Amino acid sequence: MTAVVELHNVVKRYIRGKQRVEVLHSLDLTVEAGEFLALMGPSGSGKTTLLNLIGGLDRPDEGEVTVAGERLDKLSGGELARWRARHVGFVFQFYNLLPVLSAERNVEVPLLLTKLSRAQRRQNVLAALTLVGLADRAKHKPAELSGGQQQRVAIARALIADPTLLVCDEPTGDLDRESAEDILNLLKILNQKQGKTIIMVTHDPRAAAYATRRLYVDKGRLTNEPERTAA
Amino acid sequence: MKYLPLIWAALKRRKARTILTFLSIVTAFFLFGALQSINAGIDSVMDFLNTSRLRVMNRVSLGQPMPQAHVARIAALPEVSAVTGIAIVPGTFQRPNNVQVALGVDLASMFKMYPEMHVDPQQLAAALRNRSSVLVGKALADKEGWKIGDRIPVHSFGVSKTDGSLDWTFDIAGFYDMDQHDFASNILANYDYINEGRASGKNLVVQILVGIKDPSHSAQVAQKIDDLFANSPNQTVTQNEKDFVSSILRQIGDISFLVNAIVGAVLFTLLFLTANTMAQSVRERIPELAVLKTLGFSDGTVQMLVLVEALIVCVAAGAVGLGIAAIVTPLVISLPGQGIPPMHMPRIVFLLGLLTAAVLALVSGLPPAQRARRLQVAAALSGR
Repeated sequence: MTAVVELHNVVKRYIRGKQRVEVLHSLDLTVEAGEFLALMGPSGSGKTTLLNLIGGLDRPDEGEVTVAGERLDKLSGGELARWRARHVGFVFQFYNLLPVLSAERNVEVPLLLTKLSRAQRRQNVLAALTLVGLADRAKHKPAELSGGQQQRVAIARALIADPTLLVCDEPTGDLDRESAEDILNLLKILNQKQGKTIIMVTHDPRAAAYATRRLYVDKGRLTNEPERTAA
Repeated sequence: MKYLPLIWAALKRRKARTILTFLSIVTAFFLFGALQSINAGIDSVMDFLNTSRLRVMNRVSLGQPMPQAHVARIAALPEVSAVTGIAIVPGTFQRPNNVQVALGVDLASMFKMYPEMHVDPQQLAAALRNRSSVLVGKALADKEGWKIGDRIPVHSFGVSKTDGSLDWTFDIAGFYDMDQHDFASNILANYDYINEGRASGKNLVVQILVGIKDPSHSAQVAQKIDDLFANSPNQTVTQNEKDFVSSILRQIGDISFLVNAIVGAVLFTLLFLTANTMAQSVRERIPELAVLKTLGFSDGTVQMLVLVEALIVCVAAGAVGLGIAAIVTPLVISLPGQGIPPMHMPRIVFLLGLLTAAVLALVSGLPPAQRARRLQVAAALSGR
């Protein structure tokens, strides 16, 4: 197995008001290719911050972040943007689709950064929408789709450029149970049948159960077990 | 080009706001085009005028006629090369709104005075032979589709003939053209034909045009002419053509300054309007722009998308406004028969307008584009 994600001694601090708050403390993490990792933990524990560092959306204050063979903490802003386009697919809690674009146009957006022709882009979009079971809703705008369908479109958009890593931040947090299960099954299929490496942040233990490994983030540190509060 | 759907989508996001902004820019650039066309038109008229020709008018007022006898006395001055009195028959041709003015002049002197007016000598001779003949400006003849030999009726507003009729007929003996083709828009008739045909105002002229041998002495010659009639009941005021038109324009004000001030104020206001609209539009789309960056769009690409959005709105609306001005201005602003042709928008005004629209877009779009560029993805996605 090869490591897709390697974090060593990662420290992240934020300035809140006049205070400098350390959100992640000397954190180490390795994620192997083909893993489906669930990151759990209470609100404010640093899950999303960790996910942002792995996805190249933010930079550590200290330590090394290596993802898909690239030292992200060494890349410039432009290099990081190009790296994200090539290696990471993002799925958000609130889908973050562009409201005025149809489903197919939303899925096509990452491909605008490639050299693919319009016909090739269209072909890939159709394949991605078929994969998530929404080929027949290609022309619909996000507002015309249910939450579950919007999240499927978001997953299709995340997959369209065939990224090394899929990063999901509470992907079922805004969905009813049935839709959530659909999405989690879809992620499981992508992990098991297509070998996609997935890192998912969730509060929901039922969602985390779909992952092959679970880690807990608490007060900026990673553990294998949730911290138990004394009775 | 491939980013066009993204830009188009951003513009469609708030359709009403985009349309209203577009219309306000169209209106501003229509004003810009129309006013700059007037400026350019006035400049071209001023270029056409020169100091080697004098205009003699009645000192009482512009419209007050003078005795035709003045013409002969002026002609006798040694500094004068040619003279003609002017009689006017204003009227309409075929349609009530098709105003045409026949100017009764001494055709031979007229063409001697205006070397920029070109006429076939045979056609001039023909016009001089037949008193009802006229020479028509080529631009006007082309517009009306007139040919040599045509007889054109002009229904006068108020100059009645000796038989009581208001209908004057003129025979086209030929055409004249000018270096500035659009200026060739008059009907030049024989003064005697109008003078003898009219029921009242006989042997009067409304203006006298005087050609002088040495333009550098135009002020002295003008004074000499006015001195000739200083003790007559019809005193005159004489100016060279350029001073004459300038004095009229000065009565209105410094048109160029007014035009530029109005255009400047409009564009300045528009700058704030567009900048505010763009800033609002970007502020509303912060999460969407953050998503684009998340998907791999670089800071520069996102900045470029916002700037191109501003450019498309401003330049497209500017082009529409200038296009409307180019079509409408010549129809609205023209003084037929007064030697002032329709004021066409020069190409340079159109190009200057487009350039102004582009600058407006860049200036108003740059602050929000910079904001989009500096957007921190993680912070924007979390709503910070």
